[in-house]
Amino acid sequence: MLDLLPQFLVNGIITGALLAIPTIGFTAIFAVLRFPNFAVASHATVGAFAGLVANVHWGLPAVPSLAFAFLISGVVGLVSDEIALKPLRKHGALTTAIASIALTIVLENIVRFFFGNELRGYDLPLVRDIRFSDIRVNPQQLENLALAVVIMILVFAALKYTRMGKAMRAVADNPGLADLKGIDAILVGRVVAFAGMGLVGIGGMLFGLGTSIDPLTGFRFILPIFAAAVVGGLGSIPGAVLGAMIVGIGEEMSALVLEPAYKSAVGFFAIVIVLTFRPRGLLGERAY
Amino acid sequence: MTDRITTWRPDRRSVLMGGAALLATPAILRAQGSAIKFGTLTPLTGVGGTYGPSMRDAAVGVFDAVNAAGGLLGGSIDHVSEDTQTNPEAAVRAVRKLIDVDGVSVVLGTWASSITTAVAPLCWENDVMLFCVSGADSITQLPHMGYIARTQPNSVLQIQVAGEFMLRQGSTGMAWIGPQTPFAQSSIDILAGQAEGAGIGMESLIYEADKSTYRSEVDTILRSNPDFIMLGGYAADSTVVLRDIWQSGYEGKIIGPAYAVNPSVLEALPPEVTEGVFTWEGAPAVGSTAYANVQAALGVDVVDPYSAQTYDHANLAVLAAAAAGDASGGAIKDALRSISQGDGMEVSDALAGMDALAGGGSVNYSGASGPCDFDEIGDITGTQFLFNKISGGTPSMFERI
Repeated sequence: MLDLLPQFLVNGIITGALLAIPTIGFTAIFAVLRFPNFAVASHATVGAFAGLVANVHWGLPAVPSLAFAFLISGVVGLVSDEIALKPLRKHGALTTAIASIALTIVLENIVRFFFGNELRGYDLPLVRDIRFSDIRVNPQQLENLALAVVIMILVFAALKYTRMGKAMRAVADNPGLADLKGIDAILVGRVVAFAGMGLVGIGGMLFGLGTSIDPLTGFRFILPIFAAAVVGGLGSIPGAVLGAMIVGIGEEMSALVLEPAYKSAVGFFAIVIVLTFRPRGLLGERAY
Repeated sequence: MTDRITTWRPDRRSVLMGGAALLATPAILRAQGSAIKFGTLTPLTGVGGTYGPSMRDAAVGVFDAVNAAGGLLGGSIDHVSEDTQTNPEAAVRAVRKLIDVDGVSVVLGTWASSITTAVAPLCWENDVMLFCVSGADSITQLPHMGYIARTQPNSVLQIQVAGEFMLRQGSTGMAWIGPQTPFAQSSIDILAGQAEGAGIGMESLIYEADKSTYRSEVDTILRSNPDFIMLGGYAADSTVVLRDIWQSGYEGKIIGPAYAVNPSVLEALPPEVTEGVFTWEGAPAVGSTAYANVQAALGVDVVDPYSAQTYDHANLAVLAAAAAGDASGGAIKDALRSISQGDGMEVSDALAGMDALAGGGSVNYSGASGPCDFDEIGDITGTQFLFNKISGGTPSMFERI
């Protein structure tokens, strides 16, 4: 079985990189708006279906379709936050988190209403794996990996060098101080709701590129996304990437010692271990 | 003081007021007590959502036809539909509503084995007859006292038939890969026994459902170099597994249940991924009058096996109630085999059967899914199997046994 270790490691890195994108969105929303938004599940689905419309119905290639997925899931994220979640935030994080679960069910069923329950695939050429010695990798996976890395670089650059990125970090680090400095926390919140859910939508489509999508697509990612964000440290964007890699690689490598039927247990095992020794997650509560 | 609170004796005024209130009650409310209520509990959403809506519509078509022809036992059939969401917890809530609130005497159309297993005890404890399309052997081994009847061949029979097919096709190394389900381990055990009997190898792997990739699982199963792989999952995970197997460069044969490699999977995957894949299913009675009835009711050319079975459930429930002269769950349970098998006149829909029963005759219902004969524990007997081979993204008949 150990002969499969390098292959499992490669599979894990690719899974972890894809998982990092929606996890960044989830944790960014937590950092600024201070509640776990479980509606990431349905926003991943919305992004996957928006990308499907762009790719299959309009014939656009993968990258413009991803941009469209970002736009639509971002707009849905912003509008649904304004209507359903923002009015509840003053009642506390728990109330808002529960409302986000209700929201995700509503959005999932709206997608189902328009697109039905059937599985759908993207219109992309399917190719066999490339083999490097005993390790096989699919060109589509390499492309997805490259896209994930580019998106992560763009997110980090935006946070570090743009005015809005700095404002987001300021609000995340200390909302009171940011307010004193004249930063418009409401505007920052809207930008985060848009960009965070946009990233989640990209994540949904990136996962869908390798498989097929249906209205439950996003629901399948909610547990690993949550696990990755908690392990890395809720609210920390580098933590989101680290947590995603730990969960992604951990799940794939677990096949060496565990029955594959218990794969998801790895993420929760990681949560227990990390929170036992470091309750704030690996990289604490820092936006950047 | 205590007597004044707990003792109530009707006087003339209160009786008159009560009578007046009863007369003022809308007729529809008074009629509720005697209405015949049948429930469908199909997967309208979730992984079974591909089948649930048409399963429900097939049953509704039967109830509508009976109501249009004058109803059943002097009343009309009220149909109540609930959604299992292909989720056992949601299904239990839904069946509680059907039983406690709606007061149905029959629940029909449960699809996934985990759901039938979860709702069955609630049915038999409440005198409700349950018709299902689930395959796990354990279902009819429950202490259900006759309250379960299934029109789907059990998983032992299904896997035996498919395993024999794999051997007939010359397999020299078999593999089974699928998610954790009530029939996963029994499927593996049956295939392992058949492989041992044939003197060939057999590898198996149970994976976790609802993952976006199974590359590592496919890598693991391919280490044994199988030349024939059986899929054991449902449509969503089978799509991912089929794609991952194809991308790995595997050149051997694959077989999957028709509900897992279904039209939506064939639509979602490029044709080269499913080229040469075999599927198998309990064969609907294509060409029968009942099958034509379902085609007409649903407005489709090809009826999926589950809609055909749910159409049969509805007909069986109506005929059993008509034969018993009572639409309670217990009466339908007791009368089921008197109308589903035997020497009576063969009928293919409830209306024809009700006419025959009204004339004092006996009937033997033969439906859209097959002869619909049940053994003593509620398993279907006499089912035929259809093997299809997919070419260019389209299944075509390979073998019927």
